[in-house]
Amino acid sequence: MAAPRSWALWSFCGRGWSRVLPGCGLPGIRSSWPGGPLGARPLSQEKRATETHFGFETVSEEEKGGKVYQVFESVAKKYDVMNDMMSLGIHRVWKDLLLWKMRPFPGTQLLDVAGGTGDIAFRFLNYVQAQHQRKQKRQLRAQQNLSWEEIAKKYQNEEDSLGGSHVMVCDINKEMLNMGKQKARAQGYKAGLAWVLGDAEELPFDEEKFDVYTIAFGIRNVTHIDRALQEAHRVLKPGGRFLCLEFSQVNNPLISRLYDVYSFQVIPVLGEVIAGDWKSYQYLVESIRQFPSQEQFKEMIEDAGFQKVTYENLTSGIVAIHSGFKL
Amino acid sequence: MATLLRGVLRPVRAFQGRPGPAADVPLRATSHGAGLLYPEHIRTSPLQKALLAAGSAGMALCDPYRHDMVAVLGETTGRRTLKVLRDQMRRDPEGAQILQERPRISLSTLDMGKLRSLPEGSLGCEYLRFLDVNRVSPDTRAPTRFVDDEELAYVIQRYREVHDMLHTLLGMPTNILGEIVVKWFEAVQTGLPMCILSALFGPIRLSAQSLQVLVSELIPWAVQNGRRAPCVLNLYYERRWEQPLKALRQELGITEPPMRVEGLD
Repeated sequence: MAAPRSWALWSFCGRGWSRVLPGCGLPGIRSSWPGGPLGARPLSQEKRATETHFGFETVSEEEKGGKVYQVFESVAKKYDVMNDMMSLGIHRVWKDLLLWKMRPFPGTQLLDVAGGTGDIAFRFLNYVQAQHQRKQKRQLRAQQNLSWEEIAKKYQNEEDSLGGSHVMVCDINKEMLNMGKQKARAQGYKAGLAWVLGDAEELPFDEEKFDVYTIAFGIRNVTHIDRALQEAHRVLKPGGRFLCLEFSQVNNPLISRLYDVYSFQVIPVLGEVIAGDWKSYQYLVESIRQFPSQEQFKEMIEDAGFQKVTYENLTSGIVAIHSGFKL
Repeated sequence: MATLLRGVLRPVRAFQGRPGPAADVPLRATSHGAGLLYPEHIRTSPLQKALLAAGSAGMALCDPYRHDMVAVLGETTGRRTLKVLRDQMRRDPEGAQILQERPRISLSTLDMGKLRSLPEGSLGCEYLRFLDVNRVSPDTRAPTRFVDDEELAYVIQRYREVHDMLHTLLGMPTNILGEIVVKWFEAVQTGLPMCILSALFGPIRLSAQSLQVLVSELIPWAVQNGRRAPCVLNLYYERRWEQPLKALRQELGITEPPMRVEGLD
């Protein structure tokens, strides 16, 4: 059982053993490795390529995509409720912080990958709308005279309240997208929003189309994280920004203990009681442990070609925002 | 609560349910791999069981249509009672046979053709009629997941599958009132904490008229019959399909219900 997990680490870290640090977030992994890194066991290329992790289970790579799809299909309806319950509403703050870090201006073209239920997209639209309104107010105050066209447009409600901004929400899962569309309808978001079914590892977009690429709480579910990062690099315009909001490794040992207890003891129970689904939420907390640390992920992003890669820990490292630029 | 927390704040091994990480033992035995006692088994720590019990009780009260929550409540609170039930089944000859042969009531194990051909008034025929009239199926029972003993898991599964039989025996429909009456009967018969809780708290959602009927007539009748009848888990129903329902009721000492419960809620 130890061997497959070590391959998994190798394949998703995309680097040699020296990169796989002890604080990799797999409790006990130290004791279960045979000897030092790689030990005396030469691993063949094919074996490494076909197996990966699904939470703490080992599955083949073909299987993983399907299994992740099923998890999200099953959690889609109660996704938002469960997020609020599990994080006690703090996930809203995290997502707000992502937007504040992004600081989009009116006219930004955003691609939100794995954005299913639209949380980031709606926040983006609110932000650019507020910015645009502020800009217009400033213009009005600066020069009190508006041209006739502008006045006519205001009365006809024809002007673009978003100032040309647009967000494309891309998700691999139909159920999640449906939930997002329903929410958009319920909350009245129409302009500047598009929904696309697509795979993060193979985006259905041309290169250099977007100013900002975000992926919030989605990249740890991708089978080949390096491919997703390469795709992100491809579709961004030069000067574009990559932003990733994801669960990461907690740096404080006491908080880490409490976080572990909460994750493994309480969250699956919440999943069972509220959503009637223990296993999906078990997968969720396990997948968080399997994700690389802040430094490792930073290196993966650099490998994909991004520069000026930085990260910021939120809530003691429970969540981290990684940022990189395509220059 | 302190002991629960202490047990859990120890390192990872606490929620594995295993003595400690060895080189080749999977780190997590909860939902996959070795360490599962039966296919649907999920290993849970005492803290998780406590949280599940509290959460499922609350959720079942808030949303009575969450039958899975009632099932989870039964599994997490019934350990001691299930042992008593199992021991009592072992002592009874028919019950011991059930424990050995492990029959299951589901659409795949029932011979529907044969049951339909049975004479009017037999257990099999009445059971089918009950399924048709109330539009239920024996396959909607959730499998046991949180019981940490394989035989006890079967006992509670058997209890769940026999629940429909009890509806037939008592002549109760599947509306809320009928379910509460059956729960009172089961509470007296099995002593499962989940039955007792459902029997006591279920009526909260009833209208005043139904409540009055329940308390004045149906509960005393259910309790009386529950006390008088031998344990219903000991009946090998699969061998009694041809037995006329009236004769079975007489054998168990179950009388006719004092009034019709259909249409009341």
